[in-house]
Amino acid sequence: MHRSLRFFVLMMGLFLVASSYATDASQAALTTDDSLGPLVEQPFEFPHNRHANDMQIDCMYCHTYARRSAVAGIPPLQKCIGCHQSIDSVRETPRIKKLFEYWEGSEDGKIAARTPVPWKKVHDLPDFVRFNHERHIKRFIEQQNRPTQEACGYCHGDVKDMTVARRSKPLSMGWCASCHEKDHPVTGEGGVAVGNQAYWYSFQKPVVEAAGGAVKAKGPNDCWQCHK
Amino acid sequence: MIDSGFDRRDFLKVLGWSGAAVALSGCGNTSIEDGRETVVSYSEPADYVIPGIGVYYNSTCAQCDAGCNINGRVREGRVLKLEGNPDSTINRGKICGLGQAGVQHHYNPDRLREPLLRKGDQGETISWEKAYGLIAEKLKGVDGEEMAFLTGGMSGHLKVLLGNYLASFGCKNHFVYEAVSPAVVRAANKKSYGMAMPRFSINKAKVVLSFGADFLGSWISPVHFSQQYAQFRKGVDGQRGVLIQVESKMTLTGANADRWLAIRPGTEGVLALGIINALGTATGEIAAAVKDYDRARVSAETGIAPGQIDKVAALLKLRSPSLVLAGSAAEGYAHGSQNAAAINLLNHVLGNMGKTVEVSETIPFPQMAPSLGNTAALKSLNDGLSAGKYKVLFSYAANPVFTAPGALKFKEGMAKAGFKVAFAHYLDETAMQADLVLPLDSALEDWGTQVPEYLATCAQINVQQPLMEKLHANTRGMGDILLALLKQRRADEYKGYEDYYAYLRDALLKNKSALGGGKIDDDTFWNETLTKGIIKLEGPVGSLATKVGAAGLKLPVSDDGDDQYPLHLIPSVTASLRDGRHANQPWLQESPDPLTTIVWDSWVEIHPKKAAELHIVEGDIIEIASRTGTIKAQAYLFPGIHPDAVSVPLGRGHDAMGRYAKGFGVNPFQIMDAVFDKETGELAMHETRVKITKTGQRVIVVKDEGAAGGKQMGKKIAVRLSTDDVDLSEEV
Repeated sequence: MHRSLRFFVLMMGLFLVASSYATDASQAALTTDDSLGPLVEQPFEFPHNRHANDMQIDCMYCHTYARRSAVAGIPPLQKCIGCHQSIDSVRETPRIKKLFEYWEGSEDGKIAARTPVPWKKVHDLPDFVRFNHERHIKRFIEQQNRPTQEACGYCHGDVKDMTVARRSKPLSMGWCASCHEKDHPVTGEGGVAVGNQAYWYSFQKPVVEAAGGAVKAKGPNDCWQCHK
Repeated sequence: MIDSGFDRRDFLKVLGWSGAAVALSGCGNTSIEDGRETVVSYSEPADYVIPGIGVYYNSTCAQCDAGCNINGRVREGRVLKLEGNPDSTINRGKICGLGQAGVQHHYNPDRLREPLLRKGDQGETISWEKAYGLIAEKLKGVDGEEMAFLTGGMSGHLKVLLGNYLASFGCKNHFVYEAVSPAVVRAANKKSYGMAMPRFSINKAKVVLSFGADFLGSWISPVHFSQQYAQFRKGVDGQRGVLIQVESKMTLTGANADRWLAIRPGTEGVLALGIINALGTATGEIAAAVKDYDRARVSAETGIAPGQIDKVAALLKLRSPSLVLAGSAAEGYAHGSQNAAAINLLNHVLGNMGKTVEVSETIPFPQMAPSLGNTAALKSLNDGLSAGKYKVLFSYAANPVFTAPGALKFKEGMAKAGFKVAFAHYLDETAMQADLVLPLDSALEDWGTQVPEYLATCAQINVQQPLMEKLHANTRGMGDILLALLKQRRADEYKGYEDYYAYLRDALLKNKSALGGGKIDDDTFWNETLTKGIIKLEGPVGSLATKVGAAGLKLPVSDDGDDQYPLHLIPSVTASLRDGRHANQPWLQESPDPLTTIVWDSWVEIHPKKAAELHIVEGDIIEIASRTGTIKAQAYLFPGIHPDAVSVPLGRGHDAMGRYAKGFGVNPFQIMDAVFDKETGELAMHETRVKITKTGQRVIVVKDEGAAGGKQMGKKIAVRLSTDDVDLSEEV
């Protein structure tokens, strides 16, 4: 009796500790389609608008890995310097001076030469989600010839109007599905849409009654394609 | 062992409730993590580096001495996964669990990061310059006879450098020590086959009769043998190979055998002679040597039923070629050499020479050929140390304080050495006793060459290259250290080499034409060598002995044991922990022992009959006492052991070496008596006699298996038959 009482107290204590810890953890509220992600403070402000809009530089000039890898990557420091060492007009502006501190080392010695800039991640999916940039670039830009800024913008919003990038889409599973359902229906033999795309949330592959039983799906139709 | 009042049921309740609490309060939160993590770009990347895409480099596995060639996946500058190199003749694209755990050696949080100098009980961080200066100072005026260099098995250019360093002092005290090594078998092979390590072709044999050679688990080159074994099981000419394993304690190989014979410890040689007698094909000297070993006598001595001896002999007659292997279980006795010689005799009698025991190539550069570790070296080092002979002692890739048998009192002897330098990856037991500890690069950060002892199909030099940048700035490769020490002695000769890399490159390029690169330029040859990770060579071929005599073969009459210490202690070598140098790799602690499924702890294997006699049940804490010492561990009732023996696995029971090794299990090396093989002077690992007593404590054994005789879906899982109940004619 005494033992079970002791156990009960332990249980309740743990319950309280765990729940208070979980509620206290500051997390951003769930965002919807039209709500922006939090403002992320970066080591120094990078003007996306200047590069992508005013200068009309292609996104993939800097985020060059997007077409070759699952991740888009941040351009190497060398790439920033490669251009900016010959752009004298902005060489003395505060942001560029800061940039060169990472390349040449700062005067106070706090930043060593050739230190990569510690940017904060803005679009950071949880570790259990695997999004592949390469496949989307291949489809939209290489196969369908859509403009780079439009294709990147499906998920990243109008980066050309931003300075520091800010998340403008929810990047939740339902949001991913909203595109894949609309544009890539799962079709049976003869192009008939099947399953009403309910598989996204019922976690089941569509059952096809069509002749031959073939299922043609564009885009992911299995959990493991993103959760691997 | 779990030993607390908090049982599993309570634990699950706590887990459930706290999980529910987190889930409830966690509702409605998204898991998108903006602005929390830093994404670091490269500063000046190489062209082929693409984030998210792996780059692969070939290197050599350093987890054991088999010399498997590996291929490591490196992504974002970090090595993630090791696999076998498909071009390897040894492991042909595969590696074992031990090899996989190599990344945990590299990323181990307990790795040494700075040179440490003893200050009382503490280690004081010093610089490398000071450390080198200190070594030079301590060696001033020291005669070659007064210094000793202890290492594990060594080969390649590292061995050459060390040889040159010792030669600069005129020092001959290089002790090559491996706690678990087939040294007796090597010596016996040399005598009966003409070469220490011929090529064993398991895949060409139709019957393999193995006397305790755990070739699937830990013996010599297990990955290579496992692949041969798979071919052997598929069969030559459609005949599936039959494996017969004779040993006192079941090994992984024994568990795979068609016929497993539990033999009285130490009588392996008697059985081998008994089989020769039963075959009846031997002539001359050999026939005379075995004529007394009739089945009644052999059966009485070995405890193996006469019918079994006949069955094995009949099978060996029926199917040829066969292959007979002498393994660690046979060699671990004071008459180990005799045991191995008797077993090797079988290959001659059965006509296996040249068929399954084949001639092997040797490396054409004798100075790079492996210095093979053994335990006789430990004995002579220990004698020297106890006599206070050495003013300076170096130790590299060996941990004798942990692995020396307790009876040698190595730790006390080591204390008598004037100045002790340990080159180490971790603060292991030996490093703890040292005065100066120098931190080494991990095997995945270092350069090197290695020559395997067992050459599969051709002579080869394995190349070891860094798979990634160093994790810790102040560790050094052993090659770099030796080069720095050599520069103290022979500055003129070595001043041209900035580091070990430069030395290695130069040494290989100088011999380019002998290494098969005669027509290509230096850079191409070097890059190709690194890309391949292996240099395959045509080496001189040795020759096999065609005839062997049986003179001098003398097996002792088995004793009936000892009243005070009635049981044999079998320290077992497991596939993952070996001699204990890997005990701090948690994957290996966590992967269940293949036979008992126990994790993270030691156990004592006892035959159920013996246990019933002593009223021991599973989980009883048992004290095992030998003449040398005592250890305590949990009992595990195991039918795969001879009733006159108990077995404790080696490798656990560290009292240093970091968080994953320290305090888990017990160390059977501690209670080993110092008995040596009479011919080779090797430590007889199986000669320790023990007695066991219950302490009265009992724990729950942490293991993966279910209750004995358990059922799955209403069916018995593994059907077990006593070998006496099986009709061999049905088997083959």
